[in-house]
Amino acid sequence: MNRLLIILIIAAVAVAVLLSALGSRSMQKLQETFLGAVAPILRTGSSVQRQIGAVGSGLKTLDQLEDENRQLSTQNKELRAANQMLRGYESENNKLRAALEYRKNSAFQLVPARVISRDASTWWNTVKINRGFEDGVETDRPVLTDVGLIGKTITVAKNESIVLLITDETCKIAVKIEGSREQGICSGLRVQESGQGGELQVNFLSKSADLQPGQKVYTAGVGNGVFPFGLPVGEVKSFQAKTLDGQAIVIPAVDPSKVEDVFVVVGAK
Amino acid sequence: MRATLGGLALALAIFLALPIQEFVPPFQPLFGARLVLVPMLFCYGALALPGWGMLLLALFTGFVTDLMYLHVVGGQVEIALGWSMVYFVTFGALAHGFQPAFLRGHWWIHILLSAAGTSMFLALQYMMISFRREGLVFNEIVLWRILGPGLLAAIFAPLVHLIATWSSHFVPQAGLIRAYRTRR
Repeated sequence: MNRLLIILIIAAVAVAVLLSALGSRSMQKLQETFLGAVAPILRTGSSVQRQIGAVGSGLKTLDQLEDENRQLSTQNKELRAANQMLRGYESENNKLRAALEYRKNSAFQLVPARVISRDASTWWNTVKINRGFEDGVETDRPVLTDVGLIGKTITVAKNESIVLLITDETCKIAVKIEGSREQGICSGLRVQESGQGGELQVNFLSKSADLQPGQKVYTAGVGNGVFPFGLPVGEVKSFQAKTLDGQAIVIPAVDPSKVEDVFVVVGAK
Repeated sequence: MRATLGGLALALAIFLALPIQEFVPPFQPLFGARLVLVPMLFCYGALALPGWGMLLLALFTGFVTDLMYLHVVGGQVEIALGWSMVYFVTFGALAHGFQPAFLRGHWWIHILLSAAGTSMFLALQYMMISFRREGLVFNEIVLWRILGPGLLAAIFAPLVHLIATWSSHFVPQAGLIRAYRTRR
């Protein structure tokens, strides 16, 4: 390795060290700009993925129909396929109606958003949504569905935001357990087992807490926290008394790995 | 000129790979291990580009990787911007040392280095997170989340190698590799 290369390596490391000395806000600003640059790719990818998914599910249904109806004519097959597609639209319509109803009845001002990508990083649980500060979204805003809490926004670009999911270890939520006086801090696990909806842990419960599987967990809305009072988080799976406190394992109300349409709370009504 | 074009083509590929790999679902049999394309592409660059090109590519790769995965919660940065640059510069300098062998036709070096580079990157990330969060959790899932992407990188690296070598108009040294093979 020649001397010039060694000097260049030292210069490169110096640049890296200088960058690492930036404040968190400056880093986030850079990330927001970068997010804006990759957004068209993410949106196109998301759209293509949806189309491929729709085609895949349609073909599967057609295969099933073919097995069940070997005697049917080609015309019948086409009609059935068309019918199936209409049912898909109907189901999506119903889903969107329910979401709209939830938005109307909610006590919060909600901005509807769509998940455009799921984080491919191994150690963090985040998703990216297609709403940003142009839509009124700010950092540290709760993100939810009509079923329960999903997470909170952590970085907000012009038309995209990164949502930290409740299944991430760094997402800490003050929660209370239904039917008890127990309150604790809920967070995700360091590493979630894939293929499932993930699990949450509620720490700092009293050792003697009498919690049963199935008890609902809601946000406690303590102090000036990010999450308002009473949002469903999940339900208790198990409880374990530890040396100093108790810990409950909670199944999230919403499976964050499957969610597609969400709402961002931008204020109270 | 050829090196500049090759470097730019690889930089563009790395930039595109970052969002594209988000759409690749996790591999369930390997405990949800994911396909990480970026270290694999960078590794090819480190083996094929001249020293200065490798360094510039390392800086670019580290910078965009950090921006993509910057995790700031409540004003706390989990892994600061710049650390991936240090990683890619260090790893790139090591990988670059294998360039003569790679140019002599030992294409499998790319496979080994891609696997090692990917797993090492994830292991370092995990260690830094563990330092931040105070407490090391190590179990079978963590092990597979580190080794699994390395294994996937080893499987996919020949494909990356083939595509990159095939597009020899833009990739420097690819012509040299072919010339060497023809001579043999």
